[in-house]
Amino acid sequence: MHPLYGTTAVAGIGMRQYRRGASPLPEQGALVEAILTACADAGFDPADVDGFVSYGDDKNEPVRLMPALGTRELKWSSVVWGGGGGGIAGAFGLAAAAIVSGQASAVIVFRALVEGSSGRLSAAVMAHHLNDHMLAAGIVAPAQVCAIRANRMYEHHGVPRSVAEELVRASYYHGSRNPEAIAYGTDIDLDEMRDSRWIAEPFRLFDCSRENDGAAAFLMVSAERARDLKKAPAYLLGCANGAERGWGDLLENDDEALYPTAGFRPIARRLYADTGLTPSDIDVIQLYENFSAQGVASLIDHGFCTYENVAEVVRFENLIAPTGKLPVNTGGGNFAQGFIHGIGTAYEAVKQLRGESANPVPDAKLCLLAGGPGAPTVSSAIFGNEIP
Amino acid sequence: MDSGGLIMHVNDGADAPYWNGLAEGRLLLPRCGGCGRWMWPAMNRCGACGSEDVEWIQREMRATIFSWTRTWHRFGYTESLDLPFVSIVATVADCGIRLLGRLDDPDQVDPVIGEGIAGRIGATRVGTRDIPTIIWSRG
Repeated sequence: MHPLYGTTAVAGIGMRQYRRGASPLPEQGALVEAILTACADAGFDPADVDGFVSYGDDKNEPVRLMPALGTRELKWSSVVWGGGGGGIAGAFGLAAAAIVSGQASAVIVFRALVEGSSGRLSAAVMAHHLNDHMLAAGIVAPAQVCAIRANRMYEHHGVPRSVAEELVRASYYHGSRNPEAIAYGTDIDLDEMRDSRWIAEPFRLFDCSRENDGAAAFLMVSAERARDLKKAPAYLLGCANGAERGWGDLLENDDEALYPTAGFRPIARRLYADTGLTPSDIDVIQLYENFSAQGVASLIDHGFCTYENVAEVVRFENLIAPTGKLPVNTGGGNFAQGFIHGIGTAYEAVKQLRGESANPVPDAKLCLLAGGPGAPTVSSAIFGNEIP
Repeated sequence: MDSGGLIMHVNDGADAPYWNGLAEGRLLLPRCGGCGRWMWPAMNRCGACGSEDVEWIQREMRATIFSWTRTWHRFGYTESLDLPFVSIVATVADCGIRLLGRLDDPDQVDPVIGEGIAGRIGATRVGTRDIPTIIWSRG
């Protein structure tokens, strides 16, 4: 069995989320609150946290958090490379690696984002990627890069554009029913969505994720230790991070077959091989959707559908809890729950496995967390409330 | 807005001959002297055969459209471009390298993947710099 299989677990979660620009606390303050909440959730002394992991340009170097948390000793301080949200699931794998190898015993996975402290996320992401080839073509934002790839997927690979709307509607349906979601209590207006302004074709405003202020934190410990803490463990069953040859070059010269994908083919292969699980074993999916088309591409990469049958699978009725067969983004996802660089998707993964989701999937045991699609380096993980 | 400081600049990378070529009115693209593979992004070593012999070969500015987007939102650094504008990925004929570029879009007719295009050398103003680029037209 793979060393990551069921050997560590998320024992506590905490999140603070606000509208963009509306955080009452600076970024580090919001993060400390989220970490303290995660520790309290688990019944764990925050001073005993000895490791920290983040991803995607987080500005909060863990050593700076020590005074506010009362940290006794820092033993693990690391970040997943890559500017996008591709590393989010990989961050849990990195925390697990620290714990399984004995280099730390209680690791906080976190992401914090407060615009007043660190600026717009989209600009931070592009700072990694921008070069003169892109600038000269007027390509300066993640939306445009993803739009070019989306058009290829739609036109050349025959994916019907209508599936994007199905995915967006499912996220908003869940978000409108989740008290912790930014879109709570507001049903999406289909005409407003369809007539919303163009950003970069084929994306209208509603095809794009939001940005929010806030922070979320996850306490990871060994599976054995998690069983002695307050909340039921969400076991990490597997995690894969990386890229294969022909992906991630930043100048749109990826392998032609990989070009319209979200980059997850090698990740899904490894994740399923390492865990012995298959797409049909997954009860619920938390899908990082920066843009609608990339969310669909991620579902295809992970084996939930194909270019041929995507329209049969990615249907609103099929994607919503509790009745759909493939419930996706049950907290509202990046579109409707909120977007602190995607960390809310991991938060909902744990809530769902604990039975604490606002949109519970009946008898959900396994949840896939798919990281930021289309990023040069991507990652995914599978969590379970039992170890099958 | 000045983009200086954040990004890699013209002429300090493995693709310097490309930029110098555009400045001289020519499209030069890199090919491995060892195995003949076209390499893009430009590199100093061919990862396929290990050769460090990079040849810069002139190609005609003829291509086909690989994919495209039409941008309507005013993103920072695009201030010099009239909205909407079309950006494309163009597959250069007789080598297969794909280049980012702009496409003339006078009538807002949607580009078609595979459509033939011809290029001329222009420039895009970003901050205080004019970055040379190929501006493509249909037909």
